[in-house]
Amino acid sequence: MKRTLAFASGAFIAAALAVAAPAWAQANDPVVTQARAAGAIGEMTDGYLGFAPGASISADLRGRVEQINIQRRQLYTRRAAERNVSVNEMAAAVACEVFDHRIAVGERYRDEGGQWRQHTAAQPVAKPSFCP
Amino acid sequence: MRMRAKVLAGLGAAAAVAGCIPVQIQAPDEPIEINLNVNIRQEVIVRLERDAQELLEQNSNLF
Repeated sequence: MKRTLAFASGAFIAAALAVAAPAWAQANDPVVTQARAAGAIGEMTDGYLGFAPGASISADLRGRVEQINIQRRQLYTRRAAERNVSVNEMAAAVACEVFDHRIAVGERYRDEGGQWRQHTAAQPVAKPSFCP
Repeated sequence: MRMRAKVLAGLGAAAAVAGCIPVQIQAPDEPIEINLNVNIRQEVIVRLERDAQELLEQNSNLF
């Protein structure tokens, strides 16, 4: 029992360290960046990355995106606990920032109604209704 | 006696009509609840704006 606890806390610390890596050590995964630019994957209003309908997604890409989403969820969960809000609320707050600044022209995204759209010069990103 | 019965019946009808009116005023309850939820949610998200920005900056590899 004690050992399980020690292992669990060790794993937790390792996960926390992995998430809290310094900014300079980070670089975007080129495979993910490329898929984003190609419109195969995109941001969703729930704060996670999703797979665009009709896009062919390799097992490798799927795994990378799922890893990112797992790490995002860890971030949201931790900060939500610190701020006494729900994980979904924290995720929604991040989605507001992402939809405001981080979806480049040409990229696709899933709007609040579940529709996939493309950010073009003529059509700006549709802001979710829950965003300020 | 008959007159009294008529008056009573009239009063009864009036009471029934009067009684019906307040019963009918019970239509909307869901829309109010939804609006309330949206307000609370947006307030929370406004409060979390700084945190959201910080998470994005510190974890740019995930976004």
